[in-house]
Amino acid sequence: MAEAHTFYLEIITPERQFYIGPAEALILPAVDGEMGIYPGHEPVVTVIEPGELRYKAEGQWEPAAVGSGFAEIKPDYVILLVSSAEHPEEIDRKRAEAAKARAEECLRQKQSIHEYYHSKAALARAMARLKTRR
Amino acid sequence: MASIKEIRTHIKSVEQTLKITNAMYLISSSNLRKARKQLNDVEPYFRKIELTISDILHHSPEIHHPFFDKRPGIPPEKRKTGIVVITADKGLAGAYNHNILKLAEEKMAKKPNFSLFVVGQAGRSYFQERGIPIDVEFLYTAQDPSTHRAREIAELMMDLYLDGKLDEVYILFTKMVNSFQMEPTVHKLLPLDPDVFPEFEANRDSYNRDVTYVPSVRAVMNRLVPGYIKGDIFGALVESYCSEQNARMTAMKSSSDNARAMLQTLNLSYNRARQSAITQEITEVVGGAQAAL
Repeated sequence: MAEAHTFYLEIITPERQFYIGPAEALILPAVDGEMGIYPGHEPVVTVIEPGELRYKAEGQWEPAAVGSGFAEIKPDYVILLVSSAEHPEEIDRKRAEAAKARAEECLRQKQSIHEYYHSKAALARAMARLKTRR
Repeated sequence: MASIKEIRTHIKSVEQTLKITNAMYLISSSNLRKARKQLNDVEPYFRKIELTISDILHHSPEIHHPFFDKRPGIPPEKRKTGIVVITADKGLAGAYNHNILKLAEEKMAKKPNFSLFVVGQAGRSYFQERGIPIDVEFLYTAQDPSTHRAREIAELMMDLYLDGKLDEVYILFTKMVNSFQMEPTVHKLLPLDPDVFPEFEANRDSYNRDVTYVPSVRAVMNRLVPGYIKGDIFGALVESYCSEQNARMTAMKSSSDNARAMLQTLNLSYNRARQSAITQEITEVVGGAQAAL
């Protein structure tokens, strides 16, 4: 039996539908490290951490920076629901660096547990952007 | 009959009010369109979260999660209830504020142990006038609902719930059934009820039975539930905002119509008064001339 060559990939954020279409492979930042997906993967639901995501569409690897969220993986399609997603060319390196510095500064302050989590999340987002942009 | 000058001032003031109501009508209708669009944009995202939670619930019904804990050990009269009421920031929206506040009072009468969280200035001043204590640090406006604001409210409610300061949380908002009908609604925010999640459709796709959850069902649930509650609150905020704009639109439209009808009768009586003044003057002139002959 010929395995399907591609699977259907949907990357959705509250603001927009980032990518919808066929993909040949996908690497996503899961909680316990990066996770690679090819067509015919076993059904999995997993949690996504802010980080760099790569998907292969039409033979090209496309990187993207994503925020936290979760992924639903089925053999023939993958749905990613993330708080944000950006193409590398949309990322402003200077801004991301400033955001990183600001988040680090915030983490040194005394703050409530929520503020701490927010700053940590902001730091993770900034690092993910910088990593994707390089 | 009123003097010409009086009628003229009256006409002027009505004209000015008409200008204001008409402008408010136009602003409301454009705000409404914007808010609607926003709701449509985010809906697929939150809908998907809901579906996944319901998949998990049917996949592993035995899962015990703090957000699903109904705390049956606490008797009803001791249960601490949080009530989030969403009102408008301003009046001039017909019965919009009145209806939702009436519903809030009904709810409060049933739950003796309540704490109030009010969104919107109209509701805040209403409860303050009546001396009903509200959470004074809970300051959110009803204008331009955003996911960011929804997240802050959701985090606050989840904290209070998990700390045991609240045993159940309700959100009161106005649902827009269609553009003519708006309904004040009570929605239970916490604890979550497995029964309200959409029924699992076995045929939706064939893989659901043997899904693996990485790293664990609980970890996935921990991530999903806050997202779901955030979506719920955001939906309520946007629905309320849409209803408010719609109510204001209707109210302003009818007052504009009234103002136009009023202007018409005023113009009529103005013309009549002017006519009679002219007639009288002519009569006087003619009378004077005749007397001089």
